Amino acid sequence: MEMDRESGKSEQIVSQFRSKILHVILDSRVPSFHHHHQQQESFSLSRVRKTDKWFNLVLGHRPAALENLNFSLRNLLDPVIIDIILVQHGSSSSSVDNICTPSAAAAGFTETVIERWVVQYDCPRVVATPSGADTSGLYKKTYRKSIILLRSVYAQMRLLPAYRIFRQLSSLSQTYNFDLVYKVSSFCHPFTREEEHVMKEYSFVPVEALSGLLCVSVTYRTSLSDFNLEPLVSLPPKIITDYVGSPTTDPMRSFPSSEKGVRATSFPLIGVRPPSSAPLQRPHSWSSGFHRGFPFAQNQSLAGSPPAYSTSPMTYDVASPPSDMYGNRIQNPRLSTLQQVTARDEYQLSPPFSPSPSPSPPTYLSGANPLLSHHRSETAPVTIPRPITGRSSRYLSPNSSDTSRHSLPPLSPRSSKHYASSQESPSGIRSYRKIEALRAGESPSGLSNHYSVHKVVRDSKDDSGRFSGLLSSSGSPRIGFSRSSSRLSFQDDMDDCEFSCPFDVDDVDVSDSLNQTRLHSFS
Amino acid sequence: MNCEACQLKELEVEHFEISEVLRCILHTIVFLRALGLVQPKDVDLELFEITYVQCGVVEVEKKIDEKIEHFISWVEKHPNKKSQICLSFYEVKSKQPSWFTNKTERLYWEQWYVNLNVTQRPKPYSGKSHHTKMVVDPGESASEERSSRRAMLEASLGEVLSQIIKFVNEKKDHVPPISEGVIYFPYEITIPSSPDSAFGMDMIKRMLQTGHPTMLS
Repeated sequence: MEMDRESGKSEQIVSQFRSKILHVILDSRVPSFHHHHQQQESFSLSRVRKTDKWFNLVLGHRPAALENLNFSLRNLLDPVIIDIILVQHGSSSSSVDNICTPSAAAAGFTETVIERWVVQYDCPRVVATPSGADTSGLYKKTYRKSIILLRSVYAQMRLLPAYRIFRQLSSLSQTYNFDLVYKVSSFCHPFTREEEHVMKEYSFVPVEALSGLLCVSVTYRTSLSDFNLEPLVSLPPKIITDYVGSPTTDPMRSFPSSEKGVRATSFPLIGVRPPSSAPLQRPHSWSSGFHRGFPFAQNQSLAGSPPAYSTSPMTYDVASPPSDMYGNRIQNPRLSTLQQVTARDEYQLSPPFSPSPSPSPPTYLSGANPLLSHHRSETAPVTIPRPITGRSSRYLSPNSSDTSRHSLPPLSPRSSKHYASSQESPSGIRSYRKIEALRAGESPSGLSNHYSVHKVVRDSKDDSGRFSGLLSSSGSPRIGFSRSSSRLSFQDDMDDCEFSCPFDVDDVDVSDSLNQTRLHSFS
Repeated sequence: MNCEACQLKELEVEHFEISEVLRCILHTIVFLRALGLVQPKDVDLELFEITYVQCGVVEVEKKIDEKIEHFISWVEKHPNKKSQICLSFYEVKSKQPSWFTNKTERLYWEQWYVNLNVTQRPKPYSGKSHHTKMVVDPGESASEERSSRRAMLEASLGEVLSQIIKFVNEKKDHVPPISEGVIYFPYEITIPSSPDSAFGMDMIKRMLQTGHPTMLS
């Protein structure tokens, strides 16, 4: 009985730790998460949410993408791998280190994993059954040490090179030729030798839990000076006086072709590209709006969809058949043994709302909502719109009403076969759109398609609550949610397991209005 | 309970850099040891491209600023000297009152030694060389030297912060449990006091109280 209680608390700590560290990492690396955090109200203990009190580290509002991630990563034995990817327009100066997929290269983008965080609950197969006296209160020590570990991670994140460029991107006064996006998965490709050469690994001391060790490590690029990370110079608006229809223009005048003539660039628009020739291939990954599984491509050729590119620096076999992704998942021999996931495990990992006939992980779209793909009218895509600021507004067409259009994912025909379960950030699409906008004036038709589609998408869902619509097409276990309690019910399930709320190390109930008894320090 | 001690790498700082460097180091340590409910606050240094974390408690900020001011006053009276600031965490234990002892005593369980070598800013190069007739521009070389020194200090400060995080990670068993409602453990910051001998006696006294501290290199 006591062991069960200890085990339950221990597992809850591990589960909440994974959720919290995900929040810490993404909040310190992904500008959209960070903006959410900055908009929260000032700190007041009485208004801190129950879930935010875990590990005594208040981070503020958790975006919906995070909630979905947490749900998807509920298998404690699977590692949580968070890749922080630098997406850069144009070729990098360090061509050795950046491996570009053909589509990305064609689009003029390079992507490099600059940080990889691995959070793992290492449980040995044979666990010696400790006596009751040994385990009593062990969860308290685990919790206290987890608090310290989380603090260390939080502080360490500010010392790593990626933090600097994250801060640059978070600055609203400037736009850059790069962006930071994320990818969360339960396994990953190992780094190449060239990449390992420029990366360093830092492992935090594991925290002992009842059944194993809670391990956190990071592999990061020691220097980002090789990348040409620079602010973008926006083109000034150019006034064309001799446009067609102008009273001063000679009606018989022939205008040069678009390749040679001057284009009106009153508002740089999103790049519109021809539809990808590759068939829609829904990836086996949790890609929240990051050029994955664009839902509308099945029914229409969306001219505005940015090119697909892979988030992995590995080169892919372009000719890989789509059936690989919809049928049996092919095990990538390059994956490390520990990280390979069988097809069955993959199904277990996937959230229940898989939109495809095959029980593979869902495709997430903008706002990291897994339900947006394919069933947009029934789901609750949650966009994480960036506030319209001076930085991004110049790239909006007059018809655009919000920035959520940036988060429409392009097609990704190849990377899906390598990732069983991963989720990626919408900011990558935004960055590409932004960069594309500077190139030339684009056809507005594709753009308006974007907007109308986006608008439909956006209007249909404001929160992540409505999952029920997708369940019918899934072969996976179903979990029903109600609109009002989608997130809360799940969180309450976690919180109400054995304890009513995040507990202090002494396992005393934490009331909403904490009694602030502080021991004053003596000088 | 063992008292763990950590000697931080010595930093060579100029007078105007003391405040930022100390604030960064002390707040980082307190944040990592403030195990109560906090909302972390990121602070960017002005002189260096470093961001550190505060625990966000106003009392802590005031106390640290106060101690830094005292330290700067001491440095002004004792220029060009190496100095040590000690940040100690302790538990308050009650004991049997007697004629010579108080009712409570402090049991130190962790001590951090911040080592600073405060240097005066070197005078700018006078200009003319005795051996050549060439006039060297003093501004450029001094500026380059300053930039180089600043970069070195920034790197060293980053190493110190990493050292702190490493220590915090490696040593967890000695940290006492934290009670409900408590945000941070009681701590004290000891700065050198004149005369120097008094400071040394304070340190020896504390070492005797804590038993055999483990010194980290």
